[in-house]
Amino acid sequence: MIVCVAVVGHQNNPLYIQSFTEADDALKLHHIVHCSLDVVDERVNNPKKTGPLLNETFLGLLYPIENFKVYGYLTNTKVKFILVTTDLDVKDADVRNFFRRFHAAYVDAVSNPFHVPGKKITSRTFAERVSTIVKSFGLSSAV
Amino acid sequence: MAPVVPRSGDSIFANLEHVNAELFTLTYGAIVRQLITDLEEVDEVNKQLDQMGYNIGVRLIDEFLAKSNISRCVDFKETAEVIAKVGFKMFLGVTASVINWDADGTSCSIVLEDNPLVDFVELPDNCQGLHYCNILSGVLRGALEMVSMKTEVTWVRDMLRGDDVYELNVKLLKQVPEEYPYKDDE
Repeated sequence: MIVCVAVVGHQNNPLYIQSFTEADDALKLHHIVHCSLDVVDERVNNPKKTGPLLNETFLGLLYPIENFKVYGYLTNTKVKFILVTTDLDVKDADVRNFFRRFHAAYVDAVSNPFHVPGKKITSRTFAERVSTIVKSFGLSSAV
Repeated sequence: MAPVVPRSGDSIFANLEHVNAELFTLTYGAIVRQLITDLEEVDEVNKQLDQMGYNIGVRLIDEFLAKSNISRCVDFKETAEVIAKVGFKMFLGVTASVINWDADGTSCSIVLEDNPLVDFVELPDNCQGLHYCNILSGVLRGALEMVSMKTEVTWVRDMLRGDDVYELNVKLLKQVPEEYPYKDDE
């Protein structure tokens, strides 16, 4: 079950945070996303020698916390997508797929001439598309 | 000499040079954003877009007539059909349809289901009065004025405001007969 997705800009400013649980723990999710940014910076600055050189975008499982798992994805413009999930058995391919579709939705939202880069994403279409992607992620991995 | 057959919109569109659709959309978006930043008033921006469209239309009509070999239209109904089927297809790559003719054939609506100018666009809350595609109404007005028809073009439905299609209402105000600069008896 995906708990939360977040988009963080290249200066570590939050551009979009959306939680998908009914519980009112938005602050805790903010903290988790914030801590994951440190892990992302560490991964970017100290690339593992055995790490893949081509697909630097998908960072994989960043770290587990409590009962959550946090996945990261870095675009070429240093914009980071963070995914927090409570699923125990998440396939790598599913997460990559999720981030690919999320990236496409993000690109469409940013192409809006009324969007100011660096400001929060206020597009309603983007929010709807993200909800759709999140819902279909839950279904495909529930097999 | 064999009569020249008017070519359909698809065949003309296929023979013209194409530009990247995203470049076109992003350029138009940048124009609108800059107008909003410069003029600040939504009504002013609408007027400027209309004026820009008018300037484009008076030049575009010559290219349209040259490339499409359309013969003289008999009445306003045929004019509207030609605009929707050939004109829009040739320049924007989308086919429009004509509906809602009124009783004396002077007013109709051109409906566009798909509009390349507005890909990725969402109107923010402070620009709700903006007719984003107002340049199109100016283009139609300018082009028709060059073929002796004074028209008034307004937006009826706009997808950016929540409707399901784009609808332009074209109303013929009067047909101006061609004036010759020289009098016959001088």
